Amino acid sequence: MDGMIANWLAGTPTMAAPLLLAALGLIINERAGVLNLGAEGLMMVGALAGVMATFHAGDPWAGVAAALAASALVSLVFGLLAVVLRANQVITGLTVVAFGAGLTGLFGPPYSQAAIPSFRPLDLGLLAEIPYVGRALFGQDVLFYLGLLVTAAVWWTLHRTRLGLCLRAVGESPQAADAAGVDVQAMRIGAVTVGGMLCGLAGADVSLAASQTWVEGMTGGRGWIAVALVIFARWSPWRALLGALLFGSIEALIPRIQATGTNAPTFLLKMLPYLATLAVLVVTALARRPGQTAPQALALPYLREDRRD
Amino acid sequence: MMALALSSRRHVTRLQSTGALLGGVLFGLAISLALLLAQGIAITAVFAEFVGFVFLSDAGLASVAVEATPLVLAGLAGAVALKVRFWNIGIEGQLWLGAIGATGVALYDAGPEGMRLALMAAAAMAAGAAWIAIPALLRIRLGVNEIIATLLLNYVAFLLVQHLVFGAWKDPQQNFPYTAGFDAPVEQLARLGWGKTHAGLLIALAAVALVWLLTERSRLGAYMRAVGASPEVARATGVPVLLTVVAAVALSGALAGLAGFSVAAGEEHRLTQHLGLGYGFSGILIAFLGRFRALGVLVAGVLVAGLYVAGKSLQQFYQLPAALIELIQAIILFSVVGADFFARYRIHRG
Amino acid sequence: MTNALELAAISKAFDGRVALDRADFAARWGEVHALLGENGAGKSTLMTIACGLYAPDSGDLVIDGSQRSLAGPAEATALGVGMVHQHFKLVPEFTVLENVALTCGRRYRGQATLRRALTETAEKVGLPVAAGARVRDLSVAERQRVEIVRTVMLGVRILILDEPTAVLTDREAETLLAMVRGLAADGTCVILITHKLHEVKAHADRVTVMRAGRTVARGLDAATLDVPELARLMVGETLVPPAARPRPPGATAFAAEGLRVRRADGTTAVIGLGFSIGAGEIYGLAGVGGNGQTELVQAIAGVMPVEAGRLSLGDADITHAAPAGRRKLGLRVIPADRHRLALAADLDVADNLALTGLASGRYGPALWASRPAMRRAAAAAIADFDVRGAAPDTPVRLLSGGNAQKLVLARELDDGCRLIVAHSPTRGLDVRACVAVHAALIRARDAGAAILLISEDLDEIMALSGRIGVIAGGRITAEFSPPFFRPAIGEAMVGHAPAAPREEAPEPHVGVRVAAGGRP
Repeated sequence: MDGMIANWLAGTPTMAAPLLLAALGLIINERAGVLNLGAEGLMMVGALAGVMATFHAGDPWAGVAAALAASALVSLVFGLLAVVLRANQVITGLTVVAFGAGLTGLFGPPYSQAAIPSFRPLDLGLLAEIPYVGRALFGQDVLFYLGLLVTAAVWWTLHRTRLGLCLRAVGESPQAADAAGVDVQAMRIGAVTVGGMLCGLAGADVSLAASQTWVEGMTGGRGWIAVALVIFARWSPWRALLGALLFGSIEALIPRIQATGTNAPTFLLKMLPYLATLAVLVVTALARRPGQTAPQALALPYLREDRRD
Repeated sequence: MMALALSSRRHVTRLQSTGALLGGVLFGLAISLALLLAQGIAITAVFAEFVGFVFLSDAGLASVAVEATPLVLAGLAGAVALKVRFWNIGIEGQLWLGAIGATGVALYDAGPEGMRLALMAAAAMAAGAAWIAIPALLRIRLGVNEIIATLLLNYVAFLLVQHLVFGAWKDPQQNFPYTAGFDAPVEQLARLGWGKTHAGLLIALAAVALVWLLTERSRLGAYMRAVGASPEVARATGVPVLLTVVAAVALSGALAGLAGFSVAAGEEHRLTQHLGLGYGFSGILIAFLGRFRALGVLVAGVLVAGLYVAGKSLQQFYQLPAALIELIQAIILFSVVGADFFARYRIHRG
Repeated sequence: MTNALELAAISKAFDGRVALDRADFAARWGEVHALLGENGAGKSTLMTIACGLYAPDSGDLVIDGSQRSLAGPAEATALGVGMVHQHFKLVPEFTVLENVALTCGRRYRGQATLRRALTETAEKVGLPVAAGARVRDLSVAERQRVEIVRTVMLGVRILILDEPTAVLTDREAETLLAMVRGLAADGTCVILITHKLHEVKAHADRVTVMRAGRTVARGLDAATLDVPELARLMVGETLVPPAARPRPPGATAFAAEGLRVRRADGTTAVIGLGFSIGAGEIYGLAGVGGNGQTELVQAIAGVMPVEAGRLSLGDADITHAAPAGRRKLGLRVIPADRHRLALAADLDVADNLALTGLASGRYGPALWASRPAMRRAAAAAIADFDVRGAAPDTPVRLLSGGNAQKLVLARELDDGCRLIVAHSPTRGLDVRACVAVHAALIRARDAGAAILLISEDLDEIMALSGRIGVIAGGRITAEFSPPFFRPAIGEAMVGHAPAAPREEAPEPHVGVRVAAGGRP
């Protein structure tokens, strides 16, 4: 039993890392007032690009670079439509998901189940021997630790730098930011691109660290869970980390329940992450207090001389 | 040097809006064509499939009519909900539930044989409406975002179907993940004698007519327009906003469920593992292309059905993955929402 | 003397609707220059161009003698031009200091420097601000202080203030204008956008008047001003207001007792408010904006819940009735914010007019809604209320403010109306439309409807009302019967009112004497 709990804890960060990275990417988007529902599509693109580059270059870091580049490109398409052309962000984001699914479905089959070098858990020797939490804390793959670093970096940038101040102003009140001389559109395009790259990195994490190969549809709705996670986290990077670990632990639990040999129905078990996400959304809604709201300009395109009334 | 300035139009005329739509579709098709050519398909072959076979041959047209049946229903489902500002991204889940409902009635031989199909359809609509009731309730009571809620339930519905076709409902005679076949003729929609078209086509056409009447000529339709244009104004002027939203959303779920019934009872004649995949996004696409109007949805549904049919034949003859169709749909929708910009805004030298 | 700011022949249109038509303006260093005009005259648009936020379609902008073409507000700031907009450009979710950092962060690097500069500037101009407070928790007057202090911190030499006193009590306004005079004495060019004549007379050195997008008088000397002439310039024409001769009101048609309403953010907007209106009576509710008027209207309309107290319409208790139920009993609402509470801009005229009548079966039985019937009704309403530029299928978005308001009147002032709540019904309308609105209200009153007229415009209230209540801090703090004494009502509005109405007012306000006899 002890072994199972330690094992479960050790398996949690692997599952949490993609959710964390994608949620951080979405936090950057939404803090700038852009609702990017395309996380799932960006993750698919990142996951496949990661496998393709790793397969050909033989190094998973090449995969990470490719995932970043590919997701940046798709994000720019989204940014062009949602920010520059001011298209409805919900429908454009949904289309990014379909676009990612179509793209990976078209180019993915040759790499299906391909054997690739991947990110393995680090071996930190004695530290990993600490009971229960040793492997959970010190025996993870490098992308998980990168995720922790990014969490801190996103928090620091948002709350301790002028760039972050301007970014948040753009998301809360583009009118105020514009009058203060902040380039609203450039800020949003930047947020969409950087945030989208984090979603791509999340996808690469799924393929290069968690699954270590490409399987069509392997992101399995994690991008959507990340969208919900952002609401749960109230747009805060640290709470996103907390939420990612919570959801990661639920995902990590499923194979371990199955491994115990209990006769739990597979497909119903697989519903757990989605139902848990729904449950968390409900709890978040119930616990909502005044003032804890989304960025005020979320999903609203900005045009300086907009005089519709 | 004069920079370009941008201003929003106070009103977008029907002409501007339609022009942008057509321009967007054409641009999307051009990009898609380039994509197909890049995949090594000869341009003559593309036209032979997309135009020659799909829209100019009798067999092709019949296949289009078959594909259009659930697509039009799914498109109506998307349009009706969006008219009251409810993003139903869960069309696919409701369609799965509709298929489950219809299959349940068929497998357990519920009701007299003469009523069986009607019961199946009713069960499908009820199941679809019940499935959307969850996110609808969560939004109305708690303000939970319906986009995420409806979407998450797609995954749950899909897994529920897998649970059934691999488990309790698996065909005992076969080793495949699907249920036993529906009994002919009492549990199957009658063929119309034109290719594989079936009575579901008539149901879809009737649904178009009904939705048109409801939205354009009924009191509920006027209320839906008001809620869609401004929920605050609607509430302040005494429109029963809650009732209107509930009615429109339930109708949306029921239409999606009916689409599931049509596929199960009209095409597959059983519940299968992949029966509903892809209809969710197509439904949204069709609702958008049809500008949320019943007749527009009919036209857009037929066009997207043409894409499905051509895609299937490309798949057969050129070994292209089915994902190509999803990609083309995404490109077209990207292009259409982008083109709308040129209708909504005026670019001038400023 | 060189001009600090000069705008020459500026034109600007928004999607074909002309806002400025070759407008001119020039202000000097060290003066307070008033820019006077009615709502919609183009004052704000012209100054928004001066501060770099809007680009003009044509015309010249000259700052301190050099011709400029501004790419954005940042460039204007660099040239020393700063504007305090009527709709503050503050981020409500940010603290005061964060808001200051947003505009001044490049000038004052480091939190400590910034905080010190903020405190110093606030002291210098005499407008204290709390650096750590969240802007959304501040009152409107406090927000304005933040805006002004942060604009001054930018080292602005041309300061534009858009209707700065609109949200202030008289005393706060005096303080502000004294500060403004001080800045001007130090050489700053201060431009004061306003529509209040007395402010111009009391505080400005010179005045420029705009009407309908044009400059009609340029740089007049405020000391030698002829006020009636100025009013004529501003308004363009004078129309005789309709004679309001109230008859004795009938039985009580509407009553509010101990009403308490809470806003969504938890604060209380209306506290124990009570009054009643008789049939055929216009009850005027005067008060500075933001004292609970909007919430009171929404509570009566049924779109905001009543926390405590009672609303009754005739014999019926409507405290918790749904909006539709209230309408059925004869409640009609003309809200201040037309496009949020009365008209759906994207729907056409016929749909908007039919909205309230669908349930009655007027447009077809049972579930039916006949378009032809809706169009016929719309055509009739357009003719009756003289709505210009509208056909039944015109989207309401395309109507001007006055014509949209006539549409609201056409829908609300129908045969079944028993209580009309009219909130700032003439705000933003031209004189002709104002007269039409007033005439329609008087017609409705004479037909026996009870009318609650809520307005910040004391002239309007005194001209139409049979009785006047003053709302301050969510309560009725005073009630007046004719003849009305303007200063007393004004005093009551800013919170130090005499408890009882003055019966023997020495000098009733000229021109708005209402025939006595409305009340004993």
